[in-house]
Amino acid sequence: MSIEVNDIHFNYGKIKALDGVSLDLPQGAIGLLGPNGAGKSTLIRIMLGFLSPDRGEGRILGYDIKTQQEGIRRHVGYMPEDDCFIPELDAVSFTSYLGELSGMPRQEAMKRAHEALYYVGLEESRYRKVETYSGGMKQRLKLAQAIVHDPRLIFLDEPTSGLDPQGRTEILDLIMDISSKKDIQVLISSHILPDIELTCSYVVILNKGQLAAQGEISKLKEIRDLYELKIKGEAQEFFRKLEEMKCRLEETEDGLLKVYTPPGYNQQEFFRIAAEENVQLRHFVKSQSTLEDLFADAVGVD
Amino acid sequence: MTIKEKGYTHWDGEFQDKKFPWWPITRYGIKLTFRKKFFKLFFPASFLLAVFFLAGIYISERLDDFKSMFGESVPSLQIDPAYFKTYLAGGFLLFIMLIMVIFCGSGLISDDLKHNALQLYFSRPLKKRDYFLGKTAVIVFFLFLLTLVPGFVFIIMKMIFAGSFKFFLSYPWLPLSVIAYSVLVTAFFSFYTLFLSSLNKSRLFVAILIFGIYFGSEILRAIFYENFHNHHFSLLSISANIQQVGAVIFNQKTPYPIHWILSLLVLTAFCILAGFVLKKKVKGVEIVK
Repeated sequence: MSIEVNDIHFNYGKIKALDGVSLDLPQGAIGLLGPNGAGKSTLIRIMLGFLSPDRGEGRILGYDIKTQQEGIRRHVGYMPEDDCFIPELDAVSFTSYLGELSGMPRQEAMKRAHEALYYVGLEESRYRKVETYSGGMKQRLKLAQAIVHDPRLIFLDEPTSGLDPQGRTEILDLIMDISSKKDIQVLISSHILPDIELTCSYVVILNKGQLAAQGEISKLKEIRDLYELKIKGEAQEFFRKLEEMKCRLEETEDGLLKVYTPPGYNQQEFFRIAAEENVQLRHFVKSQSTLEDLFADAVGVD
Repeated sequence: MTIKEKGYTHWDGEFQDKKFPWWPITRYGIKLTFRKKFFKLFFPASFLLAVFFLAGIYISERLDDFKSMFGESVPSLQIDPAYFKTYLAGGFLLFIMLIMVIFCGSGLISDDLKHNALQLYFSRPLKKRDYFLGKTAVIVFFLFLLTLVPGFVFIIMKMIFAGSFKFFLSYPWLPLSVIAYSVLVTAFFSFYTLFLSSLNKSRLFVAILIFGIYFGSEILRAIFYENFHNHHFSLLSISANIQQVGAVIFNQKTPYPIHWILSLLVLTAFCILAGFVLKKKVKGVEIVK
């Protein structure tokens, strides 16, 4: 396993940012999800060695997160969320400079910088100063600097934020190419759930500093079945009885009732309860849950 | 060529365990300083004072020729440690050094803060120490060009013009004084510049601070001295403290009648404080509580 963390605790003063997070992640692309303040960025910063956990331990690519941060940073690429660059440098110098700082020999870093910029599609503008780049170009440049030293693991923090649809598709294509066709693990932290669904097979969901769910997306979706219902009659008792049976209910604006049932739930129960409460079931369909449903279920929001 | 055509390729080289991982930071810092438009004008001009003093050394060895040309009215020119002190610890060179650090140092940290670049540095296998060493070495490079290099050039040229080692044998400790003073003044200006550069994201504001605090401290000294006639107020002035210690290093009379150790303590205390603030200010991540 390239990412293993165990019982990580971290506080910002009195605020608990991470509260006993343990992860053991497989190869491939992994999505890191959570609402604002869930602890995603703190977790990435701890894994990179920017922050030292108050409690807990972990290893990234076999390097200890508390004592071997330099080893981690040599073999890990990091694409930060914010705009970040070194002014007055052109893109080639910028990328090669960061390659050199990773420990690459100077000539090799320059050669590799050209390759990385070609790869992300900045070959035409690689001699332009980075401060003249558009938002989309800066995102690509950040990806180029993250891969210039050929890392074994890449942390991508909101890689598609601020991009237009075409730019977003292109960045996602690059991420998928890196993670699927090469032996490079990618951890993507994002608010955009369709991006995660498209690029990742495995997901980690954090909520209030704790691990809310982790696993393969396809398997997590199977844990709870989703049914779509339309009913007529006195619904209050019907709802109460479903909730007593650990079902989670969600009503849409067009009167559709979404019911997430717990594992092993027998769908005959719907008809039994409806009969008991004199409620007519006018529409009953077993539906496919999405990552959005899974996320909402894990963090407890509609 | 798009991603579909090219694809990602692995790098088949090997990482180096560099002895000086901070060197790329220094190299790029120097390179970027030379790209500044006005610096290209200032840099050669900053050596005019050294050329003037070098001419003085040449003239001192050719006084007899000048006397034959202009008569006995030509004043004698003594090349001794005081001459070196006049160049190295003089107010004009300190002013040139101040302009030099404004060009090469004001943006060293403030630009990184402004453009969120610290996280790029610290996501690399760099320690905070390497980052500071890399940035400091940029200032050291330019200030040594104004202090250490001319100091040694003066000694060597004096011996070449004289055609003997007499000067060196008369003052064998002078090279050490040049080294000690250059290190002292460079170390102080490095801490001073990096400290101020870490306080604000605007390079221009930092430049104003570098200039303002240096001259403000001298104005403050003059105001207090005029009112209280106490020489201890010279401890408030950056240039006065440097000149006090500089005079001792070159075995000359101090310009103010107070103990030079006090000036050294003021400069050292400032450097320690600056180091402490720098350590606190420069972080890989900005934590918003």
